Amino acid sequence: MGYGSIVKVPFGPQHPALKEPENFTFEIDGDIIVNVKPRIGYNHRGIEKAMEARTYIQNIYLAERICGICSDAHTTCYCQAIEELLNVEVPSRAKYIRTVIAELERIHSHSLWVGIAAHEIGFDTLFMHLWRDRETVMDILEFVSGNRVHYAMNTIGGVRRDITDEMIPKINSGLNFLEKKIKHYINTISNEPTILKRTVNVGVLKPKDAVELCAVGPTLRASGVKNDVRKDDPYAAYDEVPFNVITNDGCDVFARIIVRCEEMLESIRIIRYALEHMPSGMTRVRVPLVVPPGESVSRVEAPRGELIHYAKSNGTSKPERYKVRSPTLANIPALCKMLMGQHVADIPIVLAGIDPCFACMDRVAIIDLKTGEKKVFNFEVFRRHIQKCYRKH
Amino acid sequence: MAIIKEAIKQLLSRPVTLKYPFERVAPPEGFRGRPVWDMRRCIGCGLCSKICPSGAIEIIGKGKEAKIKYYVDRCMFCGQCAESCPRNAIAMTSEFELANYSREKMLYEYEREF
Amino acid sequence: MLQETLTLLFQLLIFPGAAFLILLAFISEWVDRKVVARIQSRFGPLYTGPSGVLQPIADFLKLLSKEDITPDGVEKPIFTISPIIYFSLSLTALFLIPILSETALVNFEGDLIFLIFISTLITITVFLAGYSSASSFSIIGSIRSALQMLGYEIPLSLAFIGPALAAGTLSLSGIVKWQISHGIWTVFLQPLGFGVILICFLAELEFVPFDIPEAETEIVAGWRTEFSGRKLALLKLGRDLELLLASALTTSLYLGGAQPVSFVPPALTFLIKIFFVVFLFSLFRALFARFRIDQMISGMWKHLIPLAILQILLIILNVGR
Ligand code: SF4
Ligand code: SF4
Repeated sequence: MGYGSIVKVPFGPQHPALKEPENFTFEIDGDIIVNVKPRIGYNHRGIEKAMEARTYIQNIYLAERICGICSDAHTTCYCQAIEELLNVEVPSRAKYIRTVIAELERIHSHSLWVGIAAHEIGFDTLFMHLWRDRETVMDILEFVSGNRVHYAMNTIGGVRRDITDEMIPKINSGLNFLEKKIKHYINTISNEPTILKRTVNVGVLKPKDAVELCAVGPTLRASGVKNDVRKDDPYAAYDEVPFNVITNDGCDVFARIIVRCEEMLESIRIIRYALEHMPSGMTRVRVPLVVPPGESVSRVEAPRGELIHYAKSNGTSKPERYKVRSPTLANIPALCKMLMGQHVADIPIVLAGIDPCFACMDRVAIIDLKTGEKKVFNFEVFRRHIQKCYRKH
Repeated sequence: MAIIKEAIKQLLSRPVTLKYPFERVAPPEGFRGRPVWDMRRCIGCGLCSKICPSGAIEIIGKGKEAKIKYYVDRCMFCGQCAESCPRNAIAMTSEFELANYSREKMLYEYEREF
Repeated sequence: MLQETLTLLFQLLIFPGAAFLILLAFISEWVDRKVVARIQSRFGPLYTGPSGVLQPIADFLKLLSKEDITPDGVEKPIFTISPIIYFSLSLTALFLIPILSETALVNFEGDLIFLIFISTLITITVFLAGYSSASSFSIIGSIRSALQMLGYEIPLSLAFIGPALAAGTLSLSGIVKWQISHGIWTVFLQPLGFGVILICFLAELEFVPFDIPEAETEIVAGWRTEFSGRKLALLKLGRDLELLLASALTTSLYLGGAQPVSFVPPALTFLIKIFFVVFLFSLFRALFARFRIDQMISGMWKHLIPLAILQILLIILNVGR
């Protein structure tokens, strides 16, 4: 298809397929996308700056609120960064508990995503069923941590709550139910012709492109690249727990669904192992409120991929600089590549395919409204610019 | 055709939706709801108000005479105040239906009775 | 004379005319919502009336009371009039369907052709409604609905012709009478045609897997995006009437229509049958993902049209008569 003329179609920042504001401009030839221009920066929340104004303890809860879905990944990453600065070793029971919560969160995030993917292609029944069964894992999380979404389990130096022996049977029975259900969904998804029609060979990302464009997480693994922070740079208890890194050679949206579903099964295995082999002992060590000067970087495999936090301390009780690189940001170039050559109707499902979490990744973008030009400032220029703005008003 | 089987099964069984507010589930034990203060224990050290990440706690006065003002609309139920209190004067309850039409009603004041 | 006119007026406006049909349309929407909700393990409408049966009416009234916005840049005359046309077309078509007995309120030889014509007109109204809205979502939606019509119109017409060929008449009432007098439903003679008509109506009604013109995650509400208030209320009512029309047509053509069964009045059997067909539509609606427009059209041409033609051939060859 192609009528020779190229039409520009804006997509977002307000669009029902996007749960968060972000704008993509598609250049469309007939029904085929020939170019994509992402424009990020609609939902910048200034969290990094806010972190500089709060104490290390308060920042745990701020870090947790970077993302409502991978809240635990962010606190784990934050706490690891600060623990490195403080040079404290987390007790090994705490490490196991962190692993359990992280994997429970992965199950909840992935099942949420599979439901969204089904919704994007109009399969609302699957979406409702998945979310109904996802309640099981939400209940487990609520019952272990005290909240459904913001678990507040991590703290600098360990975890705040223990997983007691009485909790384990309940967790296990929930896991058994989930395992059965997830297998049922894998079966449903891979046998339903309408789903296959909409996902197989849609949004293809070749392994070479995936690596070159620095894709992360399930998006990368669905292109057949074995890469997982949990294996490559183990944190928490992942060096002691045996598990497989799930990959799939499909490279399309269907492969991304299957990778996520199988990762859920793998997570269930990890949790079972961790609960069984949980060492006894303390769950946290007390740490000082003031952090010695230094810099640290910590990495965590969030449900969406590799998450990086960077902290710089100047020896006070507040960080001097903090930086978060969430997985969605790393996946944006790969997303643009996937969208190339797709049908317009496939935009929602391909976009959803990377499991985007735009608010977590947003950066400030300075755009001249008159010329539509995008600028990058260094600090000096930025300060002068701000002063100029203030003088004007 | 697993979905057809599942669909028929659902058609014949009861929906999972809870008819809130007519049906409620009790939150599990250890749920982090609204924190409450036990003023008999509080020594007015002010730690809770200093540590609270969202500035939900205000302490008026000092020491044994101190009064606590707690703004539930600012609180994010992290439980850090309860954890930090040296006298265990704060407890997290399982109360979670805290919405209100006016902000004034969302302020809880704790005074000591002498 | 006066009495006759009054009776006719009563019949046209109240029973079994407009008011009754609109009520039925609301109830079929309720059945549809309820079935889909139950499949998805939800309750669906619950509190308005017993089991929420009044919910569609409440929704309609609510929309009537809402602000009616006409965006800048719309083609005003078409934008205003298309909801009314859309609604009245479906209602008109319903008069041709024998509901109370085997003869419809309005019937003439060849009304089947008229019905096919109306079903095409409905899609054209949809196209105009979307196209006049001047929003990119509406325009994409209306183009998609027109494209979709290219896919389902031919098999749908063929599925209409099947029973007509068997009964040897082009009148809907005639087809119903033929089925009753032969004591057999067309569906048993022409199962292929029945399947084809169900699928085509799913496409005409814009139900999943053919809800391409109003794919929520792609183009918001498709061709209906810009409508609000009274206009949207009429469009929604029109959609309900269309659902009723589709199930009533399927019932009359393939399931024996308003058939007296011993002491049960024909109207009641008819109602049971149409709700069964609505149930079938909702069941399908809940079981699939949405096709892409190119997949839909090629699927229709590659699979459905050959099936429909095969059915006609079988009838001509006297199989299953
Ligand atoms: S931390 Fe405890 S003792 Fe100190 S003021 Fe708060 S409630 Fe009172
Ligand atoms: S629970 Fe957290 S946010 Fe609420 S008052 Fe306590 S410390 Fe502040």
